[in-house]
Amino acid sequence: MLLLQAGAPPANPLNDAAWLFPALECWHILGFAVSIGTIAIVDFRILGYGMVRDTAQSLAKDFAPWTLFGIVSMLLSGALMFATDPDMYYLNHPFQGKMTCLTLALLFHYTLRRKAIAAGTATAAIGIISLLLWAGVLAGGIFIGFFAT
Amino acid sequence: MLEFAQWVQFTGLFTYLRSSAFTYPIILSLHMCGIGMFGGMILLGDFRMLGISMRNRSISDLIDQLRVPKRWGALLMITCGILLAGSKAEEYYYNAFFRVKMILLLCVFVHGWIFRKSVYENTKALDAAPQVPAIAKVAAATSLLLWTGLVICGRGIGYIEPPLDKIHAEVRPMDVPRAVGAVER
Repeated sequence: MLLLQAGAPPANPLNDAAWLFPALECWHILGFAVSIGTIAIVDFRILGYGMVRDTAQSLAKDFAPWTLFGIVSMLLSGALMFATDPDMYYLNHPFQGKMTCLTLALLFHYTLRRKAIAAGTATAAIGIISLLLWAGVLAGGIFIGFFAT
Repeated sequence: MLEFAQWVQFTGLFTYLRSSAFTYPIILSLHMCGIGMFGGMILLGDFRMLGISMRNRSISDLIDQLRVPKRWGALLMITCGILLAGSKAEEYYYNAFFRVKMILLLCVFVHGWIFRKSVYENTKALDAAPQVPAIAKVAAATSLLLWTGLVICGRGIGYIEPPLDKIHAEVRPMDVPRAVGAVER
């Protein structure tokens, strides 16, 4: 607390070990493989590719716990990575774009998309918007390191 | 091998890729989309065969229907991977994580070849068995280990500093790993 008052930022223990950040990145990648992976299978089904013997409705229902597990994994690991250098991320344009896409993707996923799939009225536009938003999240993550502030 | 790597990276296409501001990260993003959108298909199939997920679904339902999309995903990831690796071929030649990743990738193909007849093209028999046969569980567990290893090595590549005294291509500032800076702060 004294340190904070003196204006020195408290040390983040995540920055002490060189292997911790890359380990978080791997956790992040495996997390989004599960979440975006299960979402993409349903989107591809809506577009008429992949698991066409099943309905998008039944796939979304069975995948839902895995999608949620993946989302929680990537949000947790992502928040920890953000905490290692918040100023840099906050000012980084690709990061701002990524957070915009992520917010839109999550909102879309749990509102319009979920309702349309449950009602069996999901159109190709739903699948395409979902895939594009998640692609934006992935690309934003990559560009963070290439346009460092 | 080193001569080949040097020749590859100085061809027109790979020289352009290496020095581009946007094309290189765009290809890396597509490589990441491959992992995000198709990697999950591998994990789901493996989890199902281990009996962890979706037991209400048959194994053939997942494995047979995801076979074709998985191949498209592999094509996307490998194409982007070749473009990325070729543009820094000489640097990667010295990179221990890259070498291990290539060995693991070879193991993935060997794994598919070994278990094709008994597991991946034998899904109807797996469905009919009262319990998931041990060989399918071995295939799934090995697959999970190989793919986790590939992700770890892929991420690790960027954390090895290029041997600047040995390589001939210009190394851009963006190539210097970000987390090294984070640790120093």
